[in-house]
Amino acid sequence: MSKNTQFSISRRGLIAAAGGLVAGLAAPMLIRTAAAAGQITVADPGGPYSPGFRKGFYDPFEKATGIKVVNVAREAEPTAQFKAMVETRSYIWDVCMLSLSARDILIKQNLLEPIDLKPGDAPGLMPEALTPLWVGTDVYSTVFAYRTDRLGSKPPQSWADFWDVQRIPGRRSLRKNPIDTLEQALLADGVPLDKLYPLDIERAFKSLDRIKPHIAVWWTGGAQSSQLLQSGEIDMISLWNARAQAVIDGGTPAKIVWNQGLYSIEGWGIPKGCPRADAARQFAKFCASADQQALFTEFLSYGPTNLNAYKSIPKGRAQSLPTYEANLKLMTIAREDWWSANRAAMNERFNAWILA
Amino acid sequence: MSAATLASRMAAPYRRFGSGPLWFAAPGIAFLAIFFLIPVLRLLGLSVQEASGGALTGEHYARISGTDVYVRVLLITFKIAGLTAVFSVVLGYPLAYWLSRLPANMRSRMILLVMVPFWTSYLVKTFAWMVMLGHTGLINRMILGLGLSDEPLSLLHNEIGVMVGMTHAMLPLAVLTMLPVMNGIDRHLTQAAGTLGAAPGQSLWFVYFPLSLPGVAAAGLLTFISSLGFFIVPALLGGRRETMLAQLIIAQVQEMLNWAFAGALAVMMLIAALITCWVYDRLFGLSTLSGEVTERSGGRGKARGIGLAVLGALVSISVTLGGGVRRVLGSRISAWLLPAYVTAIFVFLVAPALIVIPIGFTSSQFLEFPPPGYSLRWFGVYFDSPVWLSATLRSFGVALVTAMLATTIGGLAALALARSRSRWRGAIFSFFLAPMIVPRIVIAVGLFYLFAQLGLVATDIGLVIGHTVLALPFAFVAVAAVLKNYDWRLDQAAAVLGANRFQVLRLVTVPLIKGGIVAAFLFAFITSFDELTIAIFISGGIKTTLPKQMWDDMILQLNPTLAAVSVVVFLLVTCLLLLAERLRRRPHSASSRIETH
Repeated sequence: MSKNTQFSISRRGLIAAAGGLVAGLAAPMLIRTAAAAGQITVADPGGPYSPGFRKGFYDPFEKATGIKVVNVAREAEPTAQFKAMVETRSYIWDVCMLSLSARDILIKQNLLEPIDLKPGDAPGLMPEALTPLWVGTDVYSTVFAYRTDRLGSKPPQSWADFWDVQRIPGRRSLRKNPIDTLEQALLADGVPLDKLYPLDIERAFKSLDRIKPHIAVWWTGGAQSSQLLQSGEIDMISLWNARAQAVIDGGTPAKIVWNQGLYSIEGWGIPKGCPRADAARQFAKFCASADQQALFTEFLSYGPTNLNAYKSIPKGRAQSLPTYEANLKLMTIAREDWWSANRAAMNERFNAWILA
Repeated sequence: MSAATLASRMAAPYRRFGSGPLWFAAPGIAFLAIFFLIPVLRLLGLSVQEASGGALTGEHYARISGTDVYVRVLLITFKIAGLTAVFSVVLGYPLAYWLSRLPANMRSRMILLVMVPFWTSYLVKTFAWMVMLGHTGLINRMILGLGLSDEPLSLLHNEIGVMVGMTHAMLPLAVLTMLPVMNGIDRHLTQAAGTLGAAPGQSLWFVYFPLSLPGVAAAGLLTFISSLGFFIVPALLGGRRETMLAQLIIAQVQEMLNWAFAGALAVMMLIAALITCWVYDRLFGLSTLSGEVTERSGGRGKARGIGLAVLGALVSISVTLGGGVRRVLGSRISAWLLPAYVTAIFVFLVAPALIVIPIGFTSSQFLEFPPPGYSLRWFGVYFDSPVWLSATLRSFGVALVTAMLATTIGGLAALALARSRSRWRGAIFSFFLAPMIVPRIVIAVGLFYLFAQLGLVATDIGLVIGHTVLALPFAFVAVAAVLKNYDWRLDQAAAVLGANRFQVLRLVTVPLIKGGIVAAFLFAFITSFDELTIAIFISGGIKTTLPKQMWDDMILQLNPTLAAVSVVVFLLVTCLLLLAERLRRRPHSASSRIETH
């Protein structure tokens, strides 16, 4: 009896699966017409991204094309969901915001759909933001910030100052992750910004050994880093610029040090084989324009990748963005090619080092 | 003649009953086989395959043994989980004891207090502890203000912070697991021991404690195993060394996209957890839960001997201590020791929720305490957001269905195992606990693949199934613990009087083990209501639940919406519980009136 019921269920499942297969085969034709008046699902990082992108990208795109944009919040590291989605062909997202490291991991596993943006399509776009499978839309930067109420008399200005516990006493916090932390250790040890890569690992860990006893908190999440700075739990902290900016905008006496910052880019990627890829491509291209990017900076203190956007961003706001000329020239890009080759080994070594 | 008739009348239904009960576990076994075993095995299978291709390889395990990092993290994980279990059970035991001696009405009100931490999402609780324990936190400001210390104490970002956060999260689970068992203990037994001349310490340890042992064993196991998978609490409250294996597995799954290696790490954790369960069983008789202790007695003699020796030592210490304290303080004051202790524990349990309430009404954009000013803006954000409202609704709905499903399936399975003498019993018992041991991220990824094939991704049914997998062990153990002290002769009596198997279940067994069933239902509800990992994968951000929405909201910055949501949830749940309590009491009082006639 129970066997029969089970069988009938699985048979029904089989029929449904077959139906799905037929629909899937017919999909490319159906979708093209549906896309014109249809909708796409965009996975953004949530938080202030959602209102920023709604104003700069989603609403204007809907108005321009008639394609509705549904946005959902994705995880900080969406690669696992991305992979699962492509491999099972259940495309719950059509476009997803990816960091450079996520992009490279997904490219390596052949999970991204081509976007085909030409340099002429978006004048002013940073060259690093333009790749065949991915289009950069915003620039974030790993910097450090300090509390001006505690360190205002001798403010730290460089990573060497951050490491100088004798001259500048205070509670310090770094990220519990080798990414950016190894670079910071080398900068503190005197390696010039333009000679960072390939990273001298031994020198980096030796430099980290010096600061280790003086780190009060090793943070693990972006929200935590804001909280640490805001509550005064620490006096100086390495963090992403928007995390620090949110705290400063909220009235906390703190300051960002752009000097020796490491920037990186986030942008759109499309899951390979996505049935709505055409609409998704259209969306990604739309987001590369200077006018659209200028709009999101009102909510989100990350820099536009299209530098022409600064023509319409108010000066006061522009100064707090990583791609503002005066800030950008103090920093260098975190080299993803080095990290994707070394990340697994560095994670292991860093974990061993921090437990010791 | 009449005796013979009676014997044959008894034997017939009993035999019928005895041959069948293992079938009660069938729905649970089938459910777990489809929605847990297959997806997880498929994922763990990756750990013996090459990353590209699929040829068999041992490279991932070789990598684990090539460095001591993973073993060290494993040891840290077990240490933290073990300490959490010990603190939860030891701190919770007197509270559960105190609760079990209260009149029923009073008790159910106090249980609501114990459950307060349950209703505050652990994301929010963790941040509440940061606000309290920090360098410039509430406790340190009080200590400095009172002049108790010149320097702020280090309470956060070290082992203390982790233990506070984890014990706080696990204590209600420990208390509520022990309580139904203690409620079932006949109080006359300790009185009898007293009459026969036992000192209070002796009657407590030799009579009461052994009878409560199934509850203690269950509580220790549940808290230990659920602590193994924690990652948010150690990440936010811990320091440099407090890294748990779940964090590394999640990093491999989500950041490195190296599922094969994640699978290998999960297998390592699984094996270590199984070994621990086995040792635990030898020492403390975990299988008292599954009912095996009555048969096997020879092989375990030595280990049990150690357990009994420990018990004996505890007894003499407590008798001496108890006598000493009574002599020093006098019996009047020492009678107040337990209530004073209970009050302190209640303060500990409720404190984070009390911090969260004012933060919900803050005018600041941050989780600050005390708030610089008050406003309703964060409630405005919540009530104006269709996303928040639908997430709240979905969380309640999914949790309710999950709780019903898990309690039914898990309760039947516990019933089956308690009555069965099958040699498969131990294996089935472990199988039902397995979803607790396997890291949630592994279950979540495995389920995603299965659900994609079944068309259940981003559906409410998918969420319910995923949550039921996680909630089953809790429901199962909660019922199993009360069944341990259950008098099966009552069922036999009912059967003799002509009740069929389902009448026995409905009219006799279920009403008698109601405490365990209520606990099972609550555990399952909470497991679902506070679940994040499955929701991240299965909801895809579309069918979002409350914890998932909270998680998304705090990606860039913590804002007090989280606190406002917690206040709303807290109010809702309190109303629901009070309502349920009222409804429950009405028919109950009616039936007790009938009984007295």
